[in-house]
Amino acid sequence: MSHNSATTGWERVEDKYYRTIQLYSALWDPDFDLSDYIVVGAPYGGALALYKDETRIQAYRNSQQSKSSIDIYSAAGRLIRRISWDKGSIKGLGWSEDEKLLVVTEDGVVRCYYDLQGDFTQFSLGNGAEEVGVKECRFYPTGFVALLRNNRFISVSRYDEPRPRLLADPVPFIPATEIIHSWTILPPSYTLSRHVEVFVSTGTTILIVDATEVLDQMLQNGPFVHISVSPNGKYVTLCSVEGKVWVIRSDFQEKLSEYDTGTGGEELPRAVEWCGNDSVVLAWDEEVHMIGPRGSVLKHYYDNFVHLAPEIDGIRIITTEKCEFLQKVPDGTEDIFKIGATAPASILLDAVDQLERKSPKADDNIQLIRAQLPEAVDACIKAAGHEFSAHWQKQLLKAASFGKSVLELYSSDEFVEMCETLRVLNAVRFYEVGLTITYDQFIQLTPEKLIQRLVNRQQHLLALRVSEYLRLPTDRIYIHWACMKVRMSADDEDAICRMVVAKLTGKRGISFEEIARTAYDEGRGRLATQLLNYEPRAGRQVPLLLNMEEDEIALDKAIESGDTDLVFFVLLHLKKKLPLANFFRMINNRPVASSLIESSARETDPELLKDFYYQDDRRADGAHVILRDSLAQKDLSLKMEKLKLASKLLADAKEHALEAKALDESAKLLHMQEIFEKDLQQERFVGDSINETIFKLIRMGYSSRANKVKSEFKVPEKRFWWLKLRALVAKRDWGEIEEWGKTKKSPIGWEVLTLLLAFFNECLAAGNTKAASIFIPKCTNLPPADRMDMWVRCGNMVKAGEEAFRAKDANALELLRSKAAGAAALEIDRLLKQLRPK
Amino acid sequence: MAPHSTTIDTAHIKATAQKELLDLLVAVSPASSTLAFMWNLADRLFRYVVPPPTPGAAELLIAGQDHGIDKIFWVEENVVADVTQKNVVFLVRCTVRNALAIAAIYRSSLDATTYVTGEERSTDKPTAHVKSNAKIPGQQFEYNVLFVPRRTLVCEKILEDEGVLGDLTIGEFPLHFIPLEPDLLSLELEDAFEELYLRKDHTSIFYSARALMNIQRRYGLFPRIIGKGDCARRLADALIRMRGEEDASDSSSSPFALAPSSVLGELIVVDRESDFMTPLLTQLTYEGLIDETIGIHNSKIEVDSSLVGGPQQSGVATASSSSASPAAASSQQKKRPIPLNSEDKLFENLRDTNFAIVGNLLNKVARRLNDDYEGRHQAKTVSEIREFVGKLGSLQQEHQSLRLHTGLAEEIMKHTRSDIFNRILEVQQNLAAGVDPSSQHDAIEELIARNAPLESVLRLLCIESLVGQGLKPKDLDNFKREILQGYGYQHVLTLAALEKLQLLQSRTSITSSTSTRTNYATLRKSLKLIVDEVNEQNPDDIAYVYSGYAPLSVRLVQCVIQKPLMTRGRRGEDPSTPAGAGATVNWAATGWRGFEDVLKSVKGKTFDELQRGEEKAVRARNLLNGANEKRVTVVFFVGGCTFTEIAALRFVGRREEGKREIVICTTGIINGDRMMKAAMEKQ
Repeated sequence: MSHNSATTGWERVEDKYYRTIQLYSALWDPDFDLSDYIVVGAPYGGALALYKDETRIQAYRNSQQSKSSIDIYSAAGRLIRRISWDKGSIKGLGWSEDEKLLVVTEDGVVRCYYDLQGDFTQFSLGNGAEEVGVKECRFYPTGFVALLRNNRFISVSRYDEPRPRLLADPVPFIPATEIIHSWTILPPSYTLSRHVEVFVSTGTTILIVDATEVLDQMLQNGPFVHISVSPNGKYVTLCSVEGKVWVIRSDFQEKLSEYDTGTGGEELPRAVEWCGNDSVVLAWDEEVHMIGPRGSVLKHYYDNFVHLAPEIDGIRIITTEKCEFLQKVPDGTEDIFKIGATAPASILLDAVDQLERKSPKADDNIQLIRAQLPEAVDACIKAAGHEFSAHWQKQLLKAASFGKSVLELYSSDEFVEMCETLRVLNAVRFYEVGLTITYDQFIQLTPEKLIQRLVNRQQHLLALRVSEYLRLPTDRIYIHWACMKVRMSADDEDAICRMVVAKLTGKRGISFEEIARTAYDEGRGRLATQLLNYEPRAGRQVPLLLNMEEDEIALDKAIESGDTDLVFFVLLHLKKKLPLANFFRMINNRPVASSLIESSARETDPELLKDFYYQDDRRADGAHVILRDSLAQKDLSLKMEKLKLASKLLADAKEHALEAKALDESAKLLHMQEIFEKDLQQERFVGDSINETIFKLIRMGYSSRANKVKSEFKVPEKRFWWLKLRALVAKRDWGEIEEWGKTKKSPIGWEVLTLLLAFFNECLAAGNTKAASIFIPKCTNLPPADRMDMWVRCGNMVKAGEEAFRAKDANALELLRSKAAGAAALEIDRLLKQLRPK
Repeated sequence: MAPHSTTIDTAHIKATAQKELLDLLVAVSPASSTLAFMWNLADRLFRYVVPPPTPGAAELLIAGQDHGIDKIFWVEENVVADVTQKNVVFLVRCTVRNALAIAAIYRSSLDATTYVTGEERSTDKPTAHVKSNAKIPGQQFEYNVLFVPRRTLVCEKILEDEGVLGDLTIGEFPLHFIPLEPDLLSLELEDAFEELYLRKDHTSIFYSARALMNIQRRYGLFPRIIGKGDCARRLADALIRMRGEEDASDSSSSPFALAPSSVLGELIVVDRESDFMTPLLTQLTYEGLIDETIGIHNSKIEVDSSLVGGPQQSGVATASSSSASPAAASSQQKKRPIPLNSEDKLFENLRDTNFAIVGNLLNKVARRLNDDYEGRHQAKTVSEIREFVGKLGSLQQEHQSLRLHTGLAEEIMKHTRSDIFNRILEVQQNLAAGVDPSSQHDAIEELIARNAPLESVLRLLCIESLVGQGLKPKDLDNFKREILQGYGYQHVLTLAALEKLQLLQSRTSITSSTSTRTNYATLRKSLKLIVDEVNEQNPDDIAYVYSGYAPLSVRLVQCVIQKPLMTRGRRGEDPSTPAGAGATVNWAATGWRGFEDVLKSVKGKTFDELQRGEEKAVRARNLLNGANEKRVTVVFFVGGCTFTEIAALRFVGRREEGKREIVICTTGIINGDRMMKAAMEKQ
């Protein structure tokens, strides 16, 4: 059995090797002319989108054929889907990193085909795109930028919630006689600002445009017909109208290499793309030049028209008859396979060869590299990953296996992982699947996204196998499969339901809601209902149930979920949809729902609340709503009117008699207060309580009016005297208080002492110690210690001392002494001496 | 990844939240732009997360420059004044009201096309007005909305109905628990009490369950969920349901993600409704009294700057001191926010002590501090002096904190010395102790006549209603009249709300209703709620926090985790006597075992759920983490808890130090005044 040498397709450029790997052959019929098409490849060896290039002259075909369409092919040239297109001229066609196809039309409509099956979401660029028209678009893995005909840029940075934003206006920087020759973008992940930047070639210079500003780089070598940014965002290649190619850093600080195509501006390259991060590929119609890091060139010639699809670690070159992958040979691989290689891994590989030939040299080899054996094994494992040929993968893994069998301590994790990965890679590279993913791309893409790609290609079984093999979740695959089944199957609904349920029950994480939604969208309502019953999460069922107009079930499921947001959402929906009476009927026997409506309507919709209480015969609650209305009302007569209304509502019920009466009183009080305000211009009364009103009247000296309020509202004597006392204190009418204090018998049957203490406290609280102290001597019934304390609180230490002295309490005096100062201290000392003559 | 810690890492929660917010902010702002936060709509909480508009303060949370954000500041009162702000961020709770307000602000910013230089500002609808000089032709604003803790369908629907959805960038900031202290996690939902018990809106339970799910996701399932109360039951149900849904939906999680934890012990859910009385009493710990008199919000108080002394403390210079004359500066400007947390070591020592001994403690600290300062005279050699200088910074800091707390204590003293305060306290303690309520009526009437704060009066009446199974109809009507005449007829609504909350009821309506109520009269004995001899200096029982009343809520927790102590208490013996007094109840019993009969006199459902996982996973987890002897007990308060309850639980935690650690979670911090305010009409 003969195998191609591992170095087949290697070519030396400068001191490095580049290799061309033929991935697939015979992609299309030989007479299929790719030159008529725009071909865009999805990153990570993904699908190709083909669309008739409108700018090229087309051979006349009959109308049947000329109906335009976007064709999605796998990288191996198998048609995945034909999307017929009648939405006008396409100005942008590109892929996102998760293989969403984006189509931008001239009038600014963006369609995002999120699977490869023709389902799409749509949004508009806005910002005047519709009127002005889109000219061109550039895509990056998670978004794109569109150039309008008025030279403005619009950026879209995500597709799940697209929000097109206008970038800074470059027009003032573009001279009137100039145009935009070419432009490209630096993806947000590589910019300092974390937002996309646009490089625009105009005049001889380049402008950098971002969200907020435009920066002129002041270059002299333009105009440039091509600008291209390397996959790691660090370098930019510029191709001038004279056919010169420069590679510079993306911060425009340093020129790295220069190359002259020698065409002198006659036949400029059709496309300039990066091949990995260290070389640039120029493409003409049937010719490709690869320029190495230091300006050396590798030229390839083809029989047909060439399309390029750049990748992170190389470039795909696509023609009708084959699809090639051009990349720099990975360093490890080069060390092993290059002619005269002496790397340990190379020797280890040779050892396996010897072993197969049963030659003792195998052992010699091992002994030779004994010291570096671990590195050699590692290198072989890595190199195996970079191989496309199964034979060489096997050879390298065998070598690694042989090597590690000699080693005593070696973790086999990487070896096992690589074996698994290679198995997956080989499976997906198979031409019927057609994903030409390299090892590096696989690592960057992640296994989960690879599986998503398989699912999008309807390769459910393979996806499932891969998932299980790599121990990844399988729920999405099952769901997708079930959705497809629901959409495509011609079986009757019961059979579909049985089949789906049989396959999916017992699997973790299955969302039957999603499947049911698909069924509903397909118009299979009954199937949707059937499937929805299997959804374990009550909350998930709600939106679909609403769509299906199963209002009552939706409401119950929402309540069951415990998520009030969901309940309220359903309620808003129903309130809008149903007649009020039906709506109320629906919520009346669901306390969770009705209390939500009550609490929200309190703030936003009192009328609804009134109706709600009325139909439920909750008079008190209804009256409270009106009362709240009345409180908020500024106009006095309206205020009273509402009060009466509320009171009337309550009047019939006996248990609310007190409330009803209170509301009547409230109206009466308002009426009186209105009169007071008219009579006594200087004070406001409306809104005050009865206590406050009396207090104010006494303070102002209108005791007869206060008495009138008192009798009108049957204010108890006791409270009235308290109010009077407080008002007099506030008025600082100490004389009146003293007079009052003199009356031996208190008017309200209190003990005199209580009253005196009250006087004392109120005066003290008002800060009048002098007035307060008037009452101390009158408190004869109190123990001396209390009186002493009262004096202290008035700040009169001497009097306190005297009190203690009279009680012959030396200890208390000592205590006072420690607190007193100045003359008071002396006085207390004197008293102390008297008490303790020693 | 399950961490190998033996406790809940609350700092991690905070760090994660900060990082998430930062990422969100970076995502909305293009290079070197300015972020402006809408100040007025933001919940008080977010003013805490993102510092207020003081110069220099913005960098505290977010070192913006590293992330391409130039400046972050708050926009006050809807005024988008500074034209350099291109990015406006609304950081708001996902409520209907906020969604409507955002729509209004956005629309009015569109209408404003001309300069308006006047100070005109509509007063009746402040949220709907943006000062119009914000708009300069060609200037485009990016409006970003960050909903906390999630973007809801309802908010989006409202924005859609208002026609502004497409013009706003909407994100969510999944902030659930805020770690106020290492042992205290709060959702800081200020309205949770009102929503749960008055409006019967259970949104906060849903968020509580989510927050607890996050903890379970990180540390494993609570092996046991024990609780009391209807809302507590709902929370447990929500947790169990979420776990089930997680099992069903998350296919990628590792096999032991949702197996019983080896770190967590039981989750004890206490429903505020089961014990309304505790918060109604006046808290008597230092922190509790600060909350009662000054008010603590998000671990911060606002006090007169004179209390704190010079502005050097936080480096946030107040502009008012230089620009305006002292007389002209309004009191508003002189208020300064001061954080109160365990970073202040003095406060950490004081916070949970009874206020009666705070004065003494402060004195001691003052004396020690003085001695420390005097230490400079002993310093003779250069190295000794250097050592002293090295300490100087911490001494000054301590000094600063001493000054603050002395000031605070004096401020509170002013309050506690007042006649009205003492009257209230007396009535409270009499009622709680079971004295015949009618003997207290004169005192309450007097308080009304003397215009004591309505909240305090209502608290007293509610306590009476709770303790005495309602008021006599005649008394109730009388007090209703007193209150309506004393404080205004609008309080018809307040009284109705209190009745709906079952806080203030007449005896007839209680006997006619079928629902059970917490019976404090029987519990007083069976759970020893009243402790006559309280040692405030060296407390030996949780009752010290109210100087004689032990919070029922914490007693319930003790029933689960301190069974020996509680059973002895029940048998009428002194709980402080050493063990061995022939207890018949099995101490090793778990859950509510042994207290079933007691629980019958507490309102709400009782439950005790076990959460089991696959046996293999449990064993694997135990193998990995080692079987912990010490477990974390999480106590969750639905509807909020008080600082006294926190103090009492910390006290219990110290007693149980060897066996378990207690982490307290709550929907928010509450006190009696806040409960009463929930019933009052917002102006």
